[in-house]
Formats: sequence, structure tokens, C-alpha cells
Amino acid sequence: MSKRQLAMVMDLNKCIGCQTCTVACKTQWTNRNGREYMYWNNVETYPGTGYPKNWMELGGGFDAAGDLQPGVIPNLEADYGVPWDYNYDAIQNGASFEPNVEPTWGPNWDEDEGAGVFPQDNYFFYLPRICNHCTNPGCLSACPRDAIFKREQDGVVLVDLDRCQGYRYCIAGCPYKKIYFNPKISKSEKCILCFPRVEQGLPPACAQQCVGRIRFVGFLDDEEGQVHKLVNKYKVALGLRTDYGTQPNVYYVPPTESPAKFDADGKIIEGSTRLPIEELEKLFGPDVHAAIKTLKSEMKKRKETGESELMDLLIAYQHSDMFRLDNNYYQEVAKANGQKALAPVDERYVAGKHTKPAGMQFFQGGDLSAGGHH
Amino acid sequence: MKKLASTLIAASVAATSMMASAAVTAVKVEADLSHASYSSSVWDSAKFSDVVLYPQTTIKLNDKNANAANAANKGKKAQIAAVYNGKSIAFMLKWADSTMNIQTGYKTDVYADGFAVQFTQSKDADTLPYIGMGSVGRPVIIHLQKAVKKYYEPNGNGNVEYQVNRNQTDLFDEELKRFDKKVAGIGSNDYERTFVSEGFRSMTEIKDSSNSSYARLGYKEGGWMGTVSRSLSDANLQLTDGAIPVAFAVWDGEKLGRDGLKNLSQWVSVKLEGKSGGDELVAALGEQTKGDVAKGKEAVATNGCVGCHQVEATDPANLMAPGLSNIGGYSTAAYLRESLVKPSAVVVPGYNRNAHSNYMWYTEDNGKRVSTMTDYSWLDADSMDNIVAYLRSLKAEVE
Repeated sequence: MSKRQLAMVMDLNKCIGCQTCTVACKTQWTNRNGREYMYWNNVETYPGTGYPKNWMELGGGFDAAGDLQPGVIPNLEADYGVPWDYNYDAIQNGASFEPNVEPTWGPNWDEDEGAGVFPQDNYFFYLPRICNHCTNPGCLSACPRDAIFKREQDGVVLVDLDRCQGYRYCIAGCPYKKIYFNPKISKSEKCILCFPRVEQGLPPACAQQCVGRIRFVGFLDDEEGQVHKLVNKYKVALGLRTDYGTQPNVYYVPPTESPAKFDADGKIIEGSTRLPIEELEKLFGPDVHAAIKTLKSEMKKRKETGESELMDLLIAYQHSDMFRLDNNYYQEVAKANGQKALAPVDERYVAGKHTKPAGMQFFQGGDLSAGGHH
Repeated sequence: MKKLASTLIAASVAATSMMASAAVTAVKVEADLSHASYSSSVWDSAKFSDVVLYPQTTIKLNDKNANAANAANKGKKAQIAAVYNGKSIAFMLKWADSTMNIQTGYKTDVYADGFAVQFTQSKDADTLPYIGMGSVGRPVIIHLQKAVKKYYEPNGNGNVEYQVNRNQTDLFDEELKRFDKKVAGIGSNDYERTFVSEGFRSMTEIKDSSNSSYARLGYKEGGWMGTVSRSLSDANLQLTDGAIPVAFAVWDGEKLGRDGLKNLSQWVSVKLEGKSGGDELVAALGEQTKGDVAKGKEAVATNGCVGCHQVEATDPANLMAPGLSNIGGYSTAAYLRESLVKPSAVVVPGYNRNAHSNYMWYTEDNGKRVSTMTDYSWLDADSMDNIVAYLRSLKAEVE
């Protein structure tokens, strides 16, 4: 467990599935160098196959006794989908419009399909997912090389690419399948919670770009922060599939309202709701009932009295309130450890007991060793 | 010529009858070995010996498909030879593998065949490093060669301008083609690495150019040929004795092998022909355990070993302490004896820090692993020999 934990809250009531977060992440980190197929941030339609396909069935995580569970490493073609592009240059010369790879599967193959029968009772909602930067990460536990570490100062889970040997046990160990194999460098890579941005007081790109303003970012122990209030004070933001035992640090405000069902004549069935509570319970656990109750009662309170701190939070008036990162925290951490700010990776292993640092060109700029696991 | 050969054979027979013979004999050659490959003529004069590589079963990893593929693994016979000159020593491994698995292309779940050769500075056969990547205070040097086709070090050369998406460059036509070519040129075709390790999890690549080695891997007629040559003496290792302990491992990509999913030998003695010294090591590693296997089995049952260890069964779900079903395949008698007498001398870490949290096989005291196993130094010498003999007999079937 790290000293502090940076966390994100996503309000699913406001996610419109526009994929702006996905694109923000992709252009920032994953459109190159073997990462093309990876979506460190994806938005999937729930119910649906998700990304990678049926990730909830692929194992990993811990059982009740705390033992790591075996898992499966997804196949690129079948489970992630091979990214394809079109022959834009050639069509100028009269060629027909062709993809360079025959598309067989992709991250949003079943977008907006959902479940149920249209128009009677069909339903779906969007589920944006990033790495959960778990308190007890399955990937970290699975790594036989100690190549994955959790930073002490903010709990961000990172891969030490110098130590990683591309064994991929981390992928099997992560129940969310949010760590990926980069075939070009033969190493694993994952969402880094935009730590180089965060250290400069900027939120992760996915949160900054979110047009629905559904994402809050802050330290869980920052009692003035909106993340703390949503997670700990009002308890309306819940971890995803906490039954996997990894203690995820991305929290979701569950979808609270859904339209009523229609009968055979297309008339509204009064009092019915399309979104089965069992589905929400599966994703967010039994606490989802209390969270929805709180949300509804605060909504009512706001309607009746015009006052509700929780509703004000969820309206997300100001980015400056939603993202509580600055306060020179990282600069102070660096200073306290006698290090330069903006040092990219933990350097414990780089010099190593038996290796001299001279050969480590890439790491010469960085000297942060405050991070790490214990 | 024929006569000379038969004289040589007679001489070697005479030598073996006097003492235990080394598992592998390194033949002295004049040729330069710094770029010895499997196709080099230097191997014409080499002596190949059979060394059995047993499946690693002490720790269980967490890849469901890989575990299923490797559940019924058998020992593999490899033919191993060594040659040396004044400067270098070279090894060649030949092992059967019906499938050639090369890690290549844009894929997430393919794995490479490969091999590794492990060395140690230690000369004392009683306290050699743990066979699985060494142990605390007992480092090993490992040379690894995998059949990985083209790979790129992440940002290794600081050439960030070649790490952008080609569509995000401002290049077109010929310029873009040159860019693609340059990017392709940055890749490396040789997945050869050298590591220093003091036990499972601690393996660290040597990147400071203090090591010079040359490994090659070739596939022919249903099997691999792998060679590695290294200096007899460099900053990490000085192999000065007449015999040295060496261990070997091979991986099968077809069975999703990588890391601990491998076949490995025990520490075997390699005699540098014509060089004196090392006889004790050869004798110790070739030791025929004098104990009684049946009595040893009985002693294991009555002394509580089965309370924690899976001895002959291989049920990973109930693995509390390291599994012993194949322990004889890759353990020396000295290691087994040491483990009984000083259980904390070598403690293999669990495959993950959270595994079996309710059944700790060791605790940590100031970062040092302390085994929860009982110290069996009170056993009488006969029982000890019997137990060691029994454990040495626990081996997977050989292919």
C-alpha cells in the first residue's frame, strides 16, 4: 500500500460514450510503437463483450483467501482486434476503398447494442475503463521479475520497462485486463495515469478532455477534494468488480435513472425500469443500493430545497474543483528526497547491485527513487 | 589414426574408473571462440554428452493456458558440448523440439523457443547457488538467447523522433519511406541477454558492457542448436578452475514457455580438459547418493515433510511449500542436504507476494527470508542419506 492514493471518480450518469477520452489517451500515448491496438482508456457498452472481449471471464485477481488466480492472455486478433487503416493515398488514383487488414474484431464492435428487445425493454449504458491503479494490483503480484511497482507518493502502478522481460503473467493476473503486451518491444505496458501530467498539476488527458465532465481526479485522503467527498463522505462512488480483490482506485457513480419499459402496445409500464439492478450489483457490489438511494434522496432534496452539496459536486462546475492535484505536492516530494521533479521512473533497478549506471542512457535524466513497493 | 583414437578411449575409461567423471568435457582448441556459432567447425572436435533437463515444478505460475499445456511435461535430453581456449569458453546445446516457435509479428500470445546457460563464481559444491537463478549472496550469471525476431528497445537510444506514429510526421512519399526504413533499422534482430541474479525475482540485465558474449540459435531437422561463448574471465566471472559448475535451461514456445515454464538441468560439472583442479567439484556433482530410497520415502512420511510439501503429487492448489515431485531432477545432493539442515540458507520466494497468504512458507526478517520449515539437523546421518537418496529419485519421466 502506498502512502497516498490518487483516484478517479467517473459519473456514469453523464457519460455519453463520445470516446473523446479514448482519443485523448490514444493520441497522447498509444498510437505508435507497438501500442496501436491498446486502449489504456476505452469506453465500452454495458451489457456487452467489452474490451478485450469478455474480459470479466478471463481470470486473474484474488480469491477470498487472498491467493492470486490464474488467468488467460487475450489473443490480439480474436479478443482485442487488429487496428486497421484505409488506403487514402491510393483512392486518389482511382483505387477502391480498402482496409489494410480485414477487420474481424475491434474494441467497440458491439457499441450501443446493449441487451433487451427494442423498443420494449432494451437498455445499455457506457462504462469507461482505465487501469484501476489498484491498492493490491493483480499485475504486480503476478510479475516474477518485480518489474511492476506502485509509487509510494500517489499509488500509481507502473511497469519498470528496464526490468520487464515480456513474460505476460501480469496480463493473466489483472482481472480487468488493463495491462497489455507490446509485441514491438516485447514488454508489457499500461495506463500510467498520465503521471508526467499529474506531477505538473494537470489531470490525466482522459479526464481533462472529457466533454461530459464525468471524471474527478484527486487524492483519496484530501478531505477537501471532490473525489474524497464522493467516495468516502457520500459513498456514491464505488469500485468496479471489487470482488476480484485488487482494491481498485477508479470509482464509479452508478447509473441512477433509466427509462421505463414499454408494453406490447408501446405504452409505458408505470413504475418499471429498464436497467436491472442485478447488473449494477454485479458490477459495483451490494453497496450500489445505498449509493442509488443517496443519489435519489439528494436529487429530491435539491429539487425541494435548492440545496445539495452532492448535486453541486456532480454538476461539476469547475475543473479546478474537480481536479485537486497541484499544491506543489510532487515538487515537495521530490525536494524532500533530494530529487529533480519530473523524474520519470523508479531507478532502483537501473543501476542494480551489479550493473553500473553508465550504460543506462535513457535513465540519466531521472533519479526518482521515492516510489516502489514494499 | 584409428589406433590413436582407441588409445584415447582407453585412457578416458581408465580415468573414469578412478573417479567420478565430469558431466561435460570441454575440449581445448586453438580456434578463436569469440564468434563461435553452431555452424563453426570448432564443434567437430567437441565431445557431446547427454544432460537431462527436467521441467520446473517447484513454483507454479498464473497463466491458465500455459499451466494446462505444461501439466504433463517430461524430462528432455539435451546433447551438450563445450570447447575452450586461453580466453573463452563456448557451449553448444542440441535439443529436440518438433515445433519451431519464433516470437514475431503483431501478436500478444506467442512465445519463443530459447535456451540459457548459467554460471557461478562459486567453486564449493556444497554451497552452490540455488539452481533456479541463484540465491541471496550466491549470484549467478545467466546467458539467454531467445528466438525473438525483431524487437525494439523502448526509447533505448533516445531517438524520440523515430518513435512517433508515421501519420503524425510531416513526411510524404519518398521521405516517409525513408522514415519507415530508418525506424525498421533501429530494431534489433538478436534477443541475446546476459543477467546477474541472486534468486527468483532479482534477475537484472547486465547492460554496462562489462560482459561480452556471443550466442546463436539455429533450427534444423526437428531440433534446436544453441551456442554461447563468453570470456573465461571478465568483471562478473573468473573461471580459473579445471572444472566449473554450469546449468542449462530450454524453453518451448509451443507450450507457451517463458520464465519459470522451462526445462532445466541440475548443476553439472564441466571439466576443462588439460587444466588441473576442480576434481572435488566433479566428484561432488557426480556423487552417487549412498542412501536407501525406500527407507528415505518412509523417513519423509514419518518426519512430517508431507505436512507442508507436495512430495509426489503435483496438485498446485494445495501447494503450501515448494513442490518436490521433480526435485531430484534439478537438485544436487549437497543442496538437498543443506536444505534439510539449514532450511533458511536458500528460500525460494513464492511466485507472487500474495500467493498463499494464509500458508506462508517463509517470513521476512529485516528483508531476509526465513523459512518456516523445521530444522532437520537432528536427523542421524543414515536417515539423512536415505531422505536425500529418495528426494534425488523424484524425477519426471524422460522423453
